Amino acid sequence: MKFKFAVLSAGVGLLLAALPALAHHSFAAEFDVAKPITLKGKFVRMDWVNPHSHILLDVTDADGKVTTWSFEALPPNVLFRQGWRKDSLKPGEEIEVEGFQAKDGSANAWSRSVKTADGRRLFAGRPDALPPGAPPAPDK
Amino acid sequence: MSSRFCNSILAAAVAALLSFTLAPASAQPPAPAQGPGPGGPGGSPRPPGGPGGPGNGGVPSIFGGPRHVPGGPVQHLADGHPDMQGFWNAGNNGGAVFEVQNHPTGRAPFFGPGKGAVVDPADGFIPYQPWAAAKAKDTFEHHLAEEPELHCYESGVPKQLYVQFGFQIFQPANYVVLTWEFMHAYRIIPTDGRAHIPAAIKLFQGDSIGHWEGDTLVVDTTNLSDRTWYDTVGNFHSDAEHVVERFTEVDTNTINYEATVDDSKALTKPFKIAFELDKNSDPKYEQMEFACIEGNEDVTHYTKDKGGNADVKVK
Amino acid sequence: MTRIRLVDSTAIGAIALALVCAAPWLAQAQTAYKAPRNADGTPDLQGIWQVRNTSAASDLEDHAGALGIPPGRSVIVDPPDGKIPYKPEALAKRRENFKNRETADTLNKCYMPGVPRITYLDFPFQIFQTPKYTLIAYEYIHIYRTIFTNGSPHIDGLDFWLGDPRGHWDGDTLVVDVTDFNDRTWFDAAGDYHSDKLHVVERYTRTGPDTLRYEATIEDPEVFTQPWKISLPLYRHTEPNFRILEYECQAYADEAAKGSH
Repeated sequence: MKFKFAVLSAGVGLLLAALPALAHHSFAAEFDVAKPITLKGKFVRMDWVNPHSHILLDVTDADGKVTTWSFEALPPNVLFRQGWRKDSLKPGEEIEVEGFQAKDGSANAWSRSVKTADGRRLFAGRPDALPPGAPPAPDK
Repeated sequence: MSSRFCNSILAAAVAALLSFTLAPASAQPPAPAQGPGPGGPGGSPRPPGGPGGPGNGGVPSIFGGPRHVPGGPVQHLADGHPDMQGFWNAGNNGGAVFEVQNHPTGRAPFFGPGKGAVVDPADGFIPYQPWAAAKAKDTFEHHLAEEPELHCYESGVPKQLYVQFGFQIFQPANYVVLTWEFMHAYRIIPTDGRAHIPAAIKLFQGDSIGHWEGDTLVVDTTNLSDRTWYDTVGNFHSDAEHVVERFTEVDTNTINYEATVDDSKALTKPFKIAFELDKNSDPKYEQMEFACIEGNEDVTHYTKDKGGNADVKVK
Repeated sequence: MTRIRLVDSTAIGAIALALVCAAPWLAQAQTAYKAPRNADGTPDLQGIWQVRNTSAASDLEDHAGALGIPPGRSVIVDPPDGKIPYKPEALAKRRENFKNRETADTLNKCYMPGVPRITYLDFPFQIFQTPKYTLIAYEYIHIYRTIFTNGSPHIDGLDFWLGDPRGHWDGDTLVVDVTDFNDRTWFDAAGDYHSDKLHVVERYTRTGPDTLRYEATIEDPEVFTQPWKISLPLYRHTEPNFRILEYECQAYADEAAKGSH
């Protein structure tokens, strides 16, 4: 489905000013916010579940081993209102996800940004995912 | 008479009546389709913004509303009380949902400084008894895995008022009902002058009784369990908590909210929080189902140093 | 002429008999309960309601008792044999569900029960009405359903545990059209299930000062050969100052788990 990039940007802008979506639990107790990680891989699927959607990504390491990572994103209700739909990403699409790894070392992370191969930013996991005072997001 | 016998008689009577008819009965048109069919009208994709719709100039209503603008004069219902119905969000509240009290240095790495929502005492800090202050500190340092919302519990009073995604106010006869999209919480406030339920029953949302003082809805809440927090960092209350809230609509987009919180077991004196509730006037806005426990994976990743079950493997 | 008179008298006789047979039905139609009205003219469904049938939630069909399961007659009124009209392959899946019910029934994980199951769980719920909404608040795990009676369309693109309910009035009946279900819930604890193509039409009709008839027509072309319908009476809680409390399944489960460590 085509999305309106302008609307998305405006939406992201609005998000920067609005109450963050992470306030339902102490995010930094679960994820390592000091060391962001960036992973590239093939989009497997997205689980549109509350309280958090999950983006599943097959990441191949240098040895050719594939690990399926699960990145938490905003709740589906929020994504839906932003205009995202279940077919916004196609299985097999190359995407790059930047976020914060779970402290328990599992292949789970919070997604701060999701980029497609052609540079679109999706799902806004978000640049302002951290509340005021936290380390700033990397350049988009 | 047996129903079988009657059925045949009725059938015969119908046949007889039809044979009598001088003019054929006009065929009844099929009943018009009632209401929307499954999946809604048409097949064209929805415009960006989903149920938030283009009503607010195409900008998605992500957290329940655009920036606050002053509204018009307060409208009243037939019962004479202000019509506060609609969608509302806690406005500028100093980051209360993170930490309800003053947090001048913030809590690294969680969040930075903020004033919180406590307006009395003037320094903005919760007036804990010493044991309770120690417990709140210990909870923050070692037991964040016990946060109620991590387990999909309701948020209690007053925290429910400042959780994300806003809430909806209904005013049916003799009640005010508040519903939250977040974890499908609700509060039912009878305004018929009844008494509280017995103290033996403790509830996450407590037992609320409301009455009107002029244009202010005053809500008295008792029977609160100790299972909820004031915020996400472990500021807590006992089951002696007692809250008196005041909702005063000042214009159609603004309610002044304040809550006086007393807790004889944990506080040296009551404290008061206050902030504005802002209206979301997007005419297309709807709250949707927000399941929680059905998809909750976070609790399994909380590490032992925070009271969870997982080992710390990173850093 | 003679022939017509013969037909006349036979027909009149038949009609007379018919009236005698129909009298009870006519009498009932004339005294069919007329619910009080809300200020906006809609029938007043408000109050706190609960089923008395405590067995439908275990098994919608005819069933004998079992340990912890009260026996019950089918609440299915269509088809008339009271059996859910499964496709043959779906019936096999239902039998498998029944065998695995302790782990496969998501209700046992404190998940949302779906519709219509939430109506006949043995917990009270409260109906509130305002002009654009009928709000139902359930004691069970603090669920609420906002039934839109403002003519708005279904959401398109998400699915929900309780579906998306859009209502309108048909005479004295509130008709609620529910779509957008996921496939994770059952209709009872016996494994009666559905796909995400489920479509439910609920009907709420007052039948007396303290009674309400609840009907639900269930349609799912992936699982059933035809739509089927259940009907249950709901009873008003008349205890003074009755209010719904809380049944916080997940909190209780967490406590029980802690206690066993």
